[in-house]
Amino acid sequence: MEAAETPTPSDLELVQAIKTGDERAFEQMVDRYHARVYSLSFGVLRNAEDAEEATQDTFLQLYRKIGTFDESRKFFSWFYRVALNSAYSRARKRPSAPTVAIEDYLPRFSSDGHLASVDLRDWSVAIEDEAAARELASRAEEFIAELSPAYRDVIWMYDVEEMPADQIAEILEISIPAFKSRLHRARLYVRQRLAEIAGSAPRQKAAG
Amino acid sequence: MKHEDTGCHAHDEVTCQRLILDYLLAYEDGTMPQEERAAFRRHVEMCPPCVEFLSTYEATGRTLKLLKPRDIPPDLAKAVLSFVRSRCGEKE
Repeated sequence: MEAAETPTPSDLELVQAIKTGDERAFEQMVDRYHARVYSLSFGVLRNAEDAEEATQDTFLQLYRKIGTFDESRKFFSWFYRVALNSAYSRARKRPSAPTVAIEDYLPRFSSDGHLASVDLRDWSVAIEDEAAARELASRAEEFIAELSPAYRDVIWMYDVEEMPADQIAEILEISIPAFKSRLHRARLYVRQRLAEIAGSAPRQKAAG
Repeated sequence: MKHEDTGCHAHDEVTCQRLILDYLLAYEDGTMPQEERAAFRRHVEMCPPCVEFLSTYEATGRTLKLLKPRDIPPDLAKAVLSFVRSRCGEKE
């Protein structure tokens, strides 16, 4: 008779084991989350070296602070919050890049509610070409980086990391309607910027 | 009646503005009530600019999906463990 496979421990089981000093449990936690923490950090820092260091900082914080984790809370939301704080802490050490005023890039409407910009062409066909699509994706990443953290975190976590909406709202400590509002505005911004390079859309930056 | 400047033929039941700013995300994520979905669709059927807008909005989402998977540095997990152990004064 074959031995039963060892079940994969839950996050909470690993947390409890780490609290007792189980080094193997900490290794498992690193294995489980290092890629996601790196990717999340990259979304904030947009630099591989910084993202790697932020990932290390995050797990160091985890190791040091695990004793304070309240086990009645969800581990992922606590831990992602630690990861975001580590990334932003590192970001603050760098010269801050200017962020855009998102309102300047939202669609314009006439007084009766019709779309004001009609000289857009449908550039969505452009992404059927893989090379063109990857180029646009690369530019989209730059556009996301121009957003203020409130918008950048939401669009990165939802559209790039593909995390569930309720998890993101919990991590960022915002309501679902606030999450949706930020996501939509961030997407409208990225759509407009992509339209400016992929289509014939005029730059929509507000005067003044 | 066609809106002369935009090419939108839709009536004002749902304007382009309400469709794009208020309804689009709910339509996309499936949380829009059935009745409002019908009004949304009626507007889109009569409004080429909104068709174009929706198509590029969806294309934006598809483009962002291409940013994954990100290359993870080789040996990152090992580097993390080494870093944590060195900071916590433990032997590897």
